[in-house]
Amino acid sequence: MADIKIIDARGLSCPQPVVLTKKALEDNARVTTVVDNETALENVKRLAGKFGCAVTVESQGKGIYEIHIGRGADFNKDQDFVASCQTGAAPSGPFVIAVTEDKMGRGDDELGTVLIKSFVHTVADLGKKPDVMIFYNTGVKLTIEGSDVLEDLKQMNSEGVQILVCGTCLNYFEIKDKLAVGTVSNMYDIVETMSGAGRLLTP
Amino acid sequence: MKDKKTYAVVLFKAVSYALKAEKILKQEGLPHKLIPVPKQISSDCGVCLRFEQNIQNQIEAALLNKVEIEDIITLDH
Repeated sequence: MADIKIIDARGLSCPQPVVLTKKALEDNARVTTVVDNETALENVKRLAGKFGCAVTVESQGKGIYEIHIGRGADFNKDQDFVASCQTGAAPSGPFVIAVTEDKMGRGDDELGTVLIKSFVHTVADLGKKPDVMIFYNTGVKLTIEGSDVLEDLKQMNSEGVQILVCGTCLNYFEIKDKLAVGTVSNMYDIVETMSGAGRLLTP
Repeated sequence: MKDKKTYAVVLFKAVSYALKAEKILKQEGLPHKLIPVPKQISSDCGVCLRFEQNIQNQIEAALLNKVEIEDIITLDH
């Protein structure tokens, strides 16, 4: 087992923790980065996700996190990664998208179905992806087997986008056994994620 | 996690044509994906159907005389 490279990124400002972690990963198969804020945590997690690395996070309390990263087989150091640093008065906290329906907008359902597909596809292509996507009400239908946007959601999930799916809603539509991406979640997590969001977007 | 497949898109005159074509391709079991028209092709808020280029002949055959196609464009990534 190779040695673990430890990066102490406490007290460093964005994007330093990400830059140092990326550098360390170029020479070390296993890296542990210690950070002291959520922004750094999210950025380092996203970095690891994007580079196909395995990540586990250990909270040490008082806002300190140890992020253990194991390099994957297809690690490509030439890939670009842009850390999202909040500047000035910009709100801090994760970027959250709440998908409340399996359609986008009101008025015409057929059109709304087209639009939501386009929306999810475009989000999956975004440079700055959301940290979390929440699905509730008919929105949960997008996360089950046979959904037209499943491929995009799976891709984002593998790149570190957290996908929370309302369990009550899956239950209501009796499709819990068909869930194909993300984790079953509850109102506590959903409310906590939404209220802690730096940016909350609904299609 | 993007693969190196070559894709092309079918463009239509209107959204309703794209929807009709999507239904036909679904019936025929031809893999495709409804996506927004890429910005480099048009800045209109339109949708088009993307497919892997190696099935272009099948796609064209399936839509022939059923849906009017405006254009087919290969995407270079």
